[in-house]
Amino acid sequence: MPGFDFSNYNRNAALHARGVPLPKATSTGTTIVGCIFDGGVVIAADTRATSGPIVADKNCEKLHYIAPQIWCAGAGTAADTEFTTALISSQLELHSLSTGRKPRVVTCMTLLKQHLFRYQGHIGAYLVVAGVDPTGTHLFTVHAHGSTDKLPYVTMGSGSLAAMSVFETQWKTHLTRDDAVKLCSEAIQAGIFNDLGSGSNVDVAVITADKTTLMRGYVKPNERSAKLKSYAFEKGTTAVLNEKIIRKQDLGNYVSVHELSTTEEGDKMEVDT
Amino acid sequence: MSSLRIVPAESYTSSFTHIGPDERSKGAPSAPGLHDTLRAGVGPSPFAEAAGKPASAHPLEARLKQWEATREALRMETLRRTYGIAEPIRRGMELKITRDGEWRPMSLGGGSGPSVHEEILAGREDTITWEDVFTGEDSRADVPLHDEMERKLKM
Repeated sequence: MPGFDFSNYNRNAALHARGVPLPKATSTGTTIVGCIFDGGVVIAADTRATSGPIVADKNCEKLHYIAPQIWCAGAGTAADTEFTTALISSQLELHSLSTGRKPRVVTCMTLLKQHLFRYQGHIGAYLVVAGVDPTGTHLFTVHAHGSTDKLPYVTMGSGSLAAMSVFETQWKTHLTRDDAVKLCSEAIQAGIFNDLGSGSNVDVAVITADKTTLMRGYVKPNERSAKLKSYAFEKGTTAVLNEKIIRKQDLGNYVSVHELSTTEEGDKMEVDT
Repeated sequence: MSSLRIVPAESYTSSFTHIGPDERSKGAPSAPGLHDTLRAGVGPSPFAEAAGKPASAHPLEARLKQWEATREALRMETLRRTYGIAEPIRRGMELKITRDGEWRPMSLGGGSGPSVHEEILAGREDTITWEDVFTGEDSRADVPLHDEMERKLKM
């Protein structure tokens, strides 16, 4: 069936009715933030991807391209944020080709919220949409159920509370570019150090009317340090109790050896070098 | 007076049957109560799929299946109230002409989504959705041409 496949739903419901426990919901963890400054907008994200209690990827990319001047930071289900932003990116490109104008951030936000609302939150994409278009600088958040916010500084994900505390204490109106980048990276670091679902590095994207600068690994506060000691054991650490040498030509005394005729097909099959 | 509903009503079924007059197959000819696995195969029926019938009792699936129809009904109702009944009738006729002229047998890749002409009439030719990328043709059961014609001509 095209699109989402529901064919296992009835089977799963029937199994649940017969006492098979439902799978546990996986909680997701991320810190993403965005902040407007004079002349542009900054978005930033941490780089930890978790699957339950396990860190699945220590340096993943959570800043997604939508259009040259519109970028998106994604929290929630990684596959959903990845695919939803890719889909909306294509749709926005088709739309801008059809209208012959540069894509607008509100258009992107509306496409996203309409798409997500249709799926009633089953697509777990929580996004921060930021961009500069002919109408000005814009910053939005889009929740998985389709609700949106428009604010001068936004945070999302499980580390949003830690990040928001930084914004609430340090944010000022009319920030400069460097101050906004610093503030966003501070906010992400608050998430990295205070939220277990967030960690590793800080990615920052600065969007202005002329260009977008993606700074991957802008701050790396969790660089893996060298171990104090080497735990590689030297040769001969384990004592050899006894030793018996069997040469290849004497192998027939211990096991039965059948020589296989090497045909041409056999050589062709060997793809390993 | 028809409604101006913008999202589909929650009209999903709470029960599911794999057999029935139009749900799947009519059952094996010699045992009408049993699903005819040899003819209809396992998995969702391609005919029910093409007719827009949900394959499960999941609320979201019923919503997605009715989504476009609900939006279309709203558009047509708005047009009727603005311009009179002639406008939706004209559009409906155009759509029907396009649909009837575009039929392709399922064995040749037909029946999976609207044609280009239909999308142009609906104003959706410049959009791309999951259904355009994941067409589900690879997981669909093979439909013999004769079965499809028998169904189409109600033989």
